[in-house]
Amino acid sequence: MGRALVRVEDYFAGRFEAMAGPCVVLIDGDDRAEAAALVETAAGEALRVERKFSRYRTDNLVHAINHAAGRPVEVDAETANLLDYAATCWEISGGLFDITSGVLRRVWSFDGSSRVPSQEAIEECRGHVGWERVTWRERTLTMPAGMEIDLGGLGKEYAVDRAAALIAARTSTPFLVNFGGDVFAAGPRRGGRTWAVGIDDPERTGEAALYRLDVARAGLATSGDARRFVTRYGRRLGHILDPRTGWPVAGAPRSVTVVAPTCLEAGTIATLACLQGPGARDFLKEQKVQFWVF
Amino acid sequence: MQLDAAEPEATGPGPAQPASSPSALRERLSTAALALLLVPAAAGAETATNQIDFSTLYYGEQDRTQVFEPIVRATRLFGDGQAISAQLGLDVITGSSPSGALPSGTVQTMTTPSGRLVTVPAGQIPLTKFEDHRAGLDVDWRKPWGSLVTTTVGGHASREKDYQSLGVNAKVSADFDQHLFTVSAGGAFNDDSVFPVGGTPIGLSDGSEVTKGSNSKRVKSVLFGISHVMTRRWIVSVDGTRTYENGYLTEPYKVISVVSPFNGLPVYTLTDNRPSSRTRSSALLSSVYHLANDILCTSYRYYTDTWDVRSNTFDVKYRHDLAEGWYLEPHVRYYRQTAASFYTIGLSTILRPPEYATADYRLGRLTTLTLGANLGFRIGDRPSQWTLRAEYIRQKGDTAGGDQNGVQSHFDLTPTINTFTAVLGYSFNF
Repeated sequence: MGRALVRVEDYFAGRFEAMAGPCVVLIDGDDRAEAAALVETAAGEALRVERKFSRYRTDNLVHAINHAAGRPVEVDAETANLLDYAATCWEISGGLFDITSGVLRRVWSFDGSSRVPSQEAIEECRGHVGWERVTWRERTLTMPAGMEIDLGGLGKEYAVDRAAALIAARTSTPFLVNFGGDVFAAGPRRGGRTWAVGIDDPERTGEAALYRLDVARAGLATSGDARRFVTRYGRRLGHILDPRTGWPVAGAPRSVTVVAPTCLEAGTIATLACLQGPGARDFLKEQKVQFWVF
Repeated sequence: MQLDAAEPEATGPGPAQPASSPSALRERLSTAALALLLVPAAAGAETATNQIDFSTLYYGEQDRTQVFEPIVRATRLFGDGQAISAQLGLDVITGSSPSGALPSGTVQTMTTPSGRLVTVPAGQIPLTKFEDHRAGLDVDWRKPWGSLVTTTVGGHASREKDYQSLGVNAKVSADFDQHLFTVSAGGAFNDDSVFPVGGTPIGLSDGSEVTKGSNSKRVKSVLFGISHVMTRRWIVSVDGTRTYENGYLTEPYKVISVVSPFNGLPVYTLTDNRPSSRTRSSALLSSVYHLANDILCTSYRYYTDTWDVRSNTFDVKYRHDLAEGWYLEPHVRYYRQTAASFYTIGLSTILRPPEYATADYRLGRLTTLTLGANLGFRIGDRPSQWTLRAEYIRQKGDTAGGDQNGVQSHFDLTPTINTFTAVLGYSFNF
């Protein structure tokens, strides 16, 4: 199945849909066949990671884990590595970053309305949240029935870095991978030039870039609530939930963009920053990364 | 509608120094990211995983049957949730099993499956010696359809010296109410053939007259189950099964002693004869409760069939995690069954034999207690799992359904049988 591949100036741009969003791969070369093959590689990897880790499917290991009803589930090496990474994130964030907190979305629907769930409903849900209740040993995950894991917060960034590694293994041509706004630029481009990445205006997402960042080689990711929020007493509550309270993090930035050596780190730092609420900026300064906060 | 009043001013670009003094958090994060991403890209590109399980079962009845059964099972899990597995098993069965005849005070002789003569020392329960090999192949394919429905289809073939079994099965499961309810329904069909060594003896005869060729046995079964997540720690399920068996259901090598009512001594033997149909029904209620670290599994099963065998089974397992890859799971099972309506320990020389009769202890009144434990352990760094299961089974029959008159009353006709089972298993993924 061919992907849309167009020649833009002196590079190729291949587009496809994956992970609930538009994906684009830029190839800084002149060989159309090679470019098409590299775009195919990226698309294949995006779909693979999506299939394997999406919690919306019933045919993968994540579904098996989420429906194990208390029984231990043995996972493969790749899933184990992702869970190890998630466990580290949970640890270093003091429990703020928690892949089991997705259960809270059963009561919170971030559709821009003013529907806020009852405290009882939140409390009921919070009973099913908390990585500390999970037994994660080597390759076996045992989770009380009713709990769920959601690797959606890591999956897209992970897929970007994975796809980039696969392309890099096949070619020395400079390229850039962008899956729904999470980016890895593998450069510098031919002639020592950089890739120009626009940073979205969270108020007018998809319409205009507020800033332009020129990068040779870096991972970029944005975390925020551009379109997913509810309002309460006229106040906007973003979609980033604090697993300790079950409520959206108050005073969180609308959007945080981070540049880091890999897309995964950029995404994690951006998410951790949002979880700090009003402390996001200070947190980011401490991390000594290039960032934008809106 | 900017409530925070702040301009969408960017605090940044922040200091872009390439990690001059990264924070402790960042250092841990990049180490973790490195560990995750440095896995060879090709390894991540695979869309399927394979699992191989080996196990070897040893089953030994004290002084009777011994079974040695190595099994290898290969499973391929696809990225889309499909799974295909194939299992090859071999059984080597040696030993002896009670022929059904009664012990006598004097020496008895019997004919055997192969036509040779055996002599039974006085006072011992006559046993039939045998050695058999069985090879079986099972395959199954599981496929999810959309988000709620999963189907499984399978096939089975096995062959031994005097028995062949071919079967197919299918099952559909569907989830409801946010996956809190799972309903399953399925069916299976087996077309078996029994071709006893030396021909099929006529039922309730002296065994000298046989018919050649194979005998057909057809088994159809349907099952229905519901499982429900009660709380986040507790899951309960109810399963019902009905099985219809038709055809040759007799045990060709079993015999029944015909005893003189005057002195209780066996005079001659008649072959086993059972009805040609049997409908079995069972209901299983099971519960899995997840404690803080341990898991408690309990179940109760009620079984009844048209031969009047009814049984109750209670089963409790408790899994306790010891360390990484190590667990201990003690197991207790209690089983009690009533005798089939045509079960007898012996017939009388002066009464006309009934239409159907068997002296097979497995259709008599029986109580079985199983005590066992399963140990999971890990050797070396390889992410693999070893298991060692050991079980002690104590089976006690009881002489309901027959008179122990005369000489027979000196012998324990249904001695306690002690059985020991050990299974060593090893599984790994790649």
